[in-house]
Amino acid sequence: MRIVTMLAEVDEQKCIGCKICQKVCPTLAIEIVNKVSKIDAEKCRGCGNCNQRCPEDAVSMVKRETPVKVFVDPETVDRKKIEEMCEKARMNPEQIVCYCTATRAEEVAAAIIKGADTPEKISLETGVRTGCKVECIQPVLRLLEAAGIQPERPDGYQWYGRTPTIWDIPEEVKHKYSKRGFYFDEDIKLLDEVAKIKKTGKEEQ
Amino acid sequence: MRKPITPMKPRVSQYGVDPKYVTKRMAEYPEMTSVMLKDLFPDTPDVIYPSEKGISAVREAAEKALENVDMSMIKPGDSVNVCASHHGFTLLGGEPYAELLKTVRDVIAERTGTENIRLRAGVGLRFRETEEYIKSFGLDKHYKGKAKGVAPVDEGIPIETEIGTLYGIKAIYDADWIVHVHNSDVREVHFHRQVDRAVKPFGMSYARIETRSTYHQNLGPRGANFTARAIFASDFVQSKFAFTAFLEMSPVGVVSVDADNDLYALNDRLTVSGCKYYGKIMTLMGEIDECIVGLDFPCPVPYVFAAGVIYANFAGANVDLFDLDGSLPPYTWYTEAFYGKDGKPLVDNAPPVNPAIKMVVHNYAWGGYPSAFFSEHAPTIVVGREQADLLNRDPQNLDYMKHAVIADELDTAMKFAYEVSGTDKVIIFDGAVGGVNVSESLGKLLHEKAPAVSEKVDKELLPKWLRQRGIDPETIK
Repeated sequence: MRIVTMLAEVDEQKCIGCKICQKVCPTLAIEIVNKVSKIDAEKCRGCGNCNQRCPEDAVSMVKRETPVKVFVDPETVDRKKIEEMCEKARMNPEQIVCYCTATRAEEVAAAIIKGADTPEKISLETGVRTGCKVECIQPVLRLLEAAGIQPERPDGYQWYGRTPTIWDIPEEVKHKYSKRGFYFDEDIKLLDEVAKIKKTGKEEQ
Repeated sequence: MRKPITPMKPRVSQYGVDPKYVTKRMAEYPEMTSVMLKDLFPDTPDVIYPSEKGISAVREAAEKALENVDMSMIKPGDSVNVCASHHGFTLLGGEPYAELLKTVRDVIAERTGTENIRLRAGVGLRFRETEEYIKSFGLDKHYKGKAKGVAPVDEGIPIETEIGTLYGIKAIYDADWIVHVHNSDVREVHFHRQVDRAVKPFGMSYARIETRSTYHQNLGPRGANFTARAIFASDFVQSKFAFTAFLEMSPVGVVSVDADNDLYALNDRLTVSGCKYYGKIMTLMGEIDECIVGLDFPCPVPYVFAAGVIYANFAGANVDLFDLDGSLPPYTWYTEAFYGKDGKPLVDNAPPVNPAIKMVVHNYAWGGYPSAFFSEHAPTIVVGREQADLLNRDPQNLDYMKHAVIADELDTAMKFAYEVSGTDKVIIFDGAVGGVNVSESLGKLLHEKAPAVSEKVDKELLPKWLRQRGIDPETIK
């Protein structure tokens, strides 16, 4: 869940239409019209990527008059489907996948089940990838892959692709570095244990 | 009672409140004193900075270290990217790292004849942070306008590694040669576990979001830093890597400058010095039974410093973070991920956040890093509504204030902290150089515990830490 309190605002006098903001927007909320950046307020999740990368400092973050809540309730989809998807992605449904929004794997899985078939749509609906904008792309791609979806990359730098997991590391590589302090097999054991734990926890009040 | 050490000054930054709102520092209270590291541990190394020689000591040490480095691969007219990271600018006010970066540029130009030398400074999660440092330390001028901050959301390039495709920031690698300039402050031991510390930026500040997410989500708490080695070992990076230069740090300052054409050789040396120099103070911090923590430094919450140790490591000081037999530290993103909806860890072996922390007084610390875990797990008072507002506006800290209370001024916060926590022991993370600002009661405890800690680290822990990292402890005797 994400409460969106901020909104990007473009100073049209400063904007040079370089498209960088468009290329880094995780929800595709920016279009360039007549060489000026236009923000779609409905789609903006207030992440600030545009503000942080604009070479002309043309984008400000302003407070929304009314905050917007984005949330896909995992209770509204078949629990079994969520569990199957998370298991395939080697995650626990309750595992947090976005540290800024405390979004759990089950919510991302629920969004996918409800039709979000790209990282951009998932971000729009759950708020993941709109906090630090860095750390949660891989769990999103892993869950999409577990659902059998190969999303198309947008025309920008939003994301490039799924990367290896610890389960993908070849045995010879593990062996080569086993004396260097990398505990691959022990970590696999831990991550497998986490993924398998069954919880029916309720959100802490 | 020693006077408190002057804390590091607030810094003007878009990630923190205006320094005018920092009206009082925790070290100003009459019950505060300071403890010098050298008094706790007599084997604390001598430093070249801070020293009477000033910043010229860093330049001199850098020039000397670079004498033994081969730069013959760089030809006149070749392009060279000097790669830097934001961390270095948080050490001792940032000047030593800035001076190292300036010296490296000067020596490359002098030795190779090339003038096409660019500074590429990577960041953590505050994408304009190094832009601020580049300006404030005059690095743009020193690099003749060829200095820029780079961020993990910038255009990337695929890098084929022995575990598959990872992604780097294109601007880091858009030169004929790259030079890796960093520091050996152990800093995020909870993440890298002092395994391949010197290689880490290749998987972090020089890397795209895909790689950084691999580190924190795909590889596990003790395998994470392999992303860095995988990238560095790739044919692509090896074809561009020229040499490396590091500030060798200790909790009391810059010990020396180390430089090498072989990053792994330098890494081995710094693995030893990191465990040795930081192991004792971190172990001693684990002996603190109860305390109020003061956050009072220009950095995000986990990165404020006391005695050269960051708060994130103190939050995990109830376990030995160097010991690789332990899988999950009390704080790391894997641990944070494994807290279930009921607020309890999904696995039994997740240690709690350091129970010695009874209260946190957030007098001055920045946003720009997901920090709600800290206010959720330790009672926190934020001083000033401006700071609370800053955190509430920060997309990375939308929940921080959900778990914290606000005090209008530091006096109120301290009074509340003393009354509610029931302890008079205070440790202040304010970047004090050479020691740590603490209450008299905590200073006494540190002095009492230090000799036994020192002996335990020398005889038991250090040899174990080194063996776990493939280093024979006999080699350092």
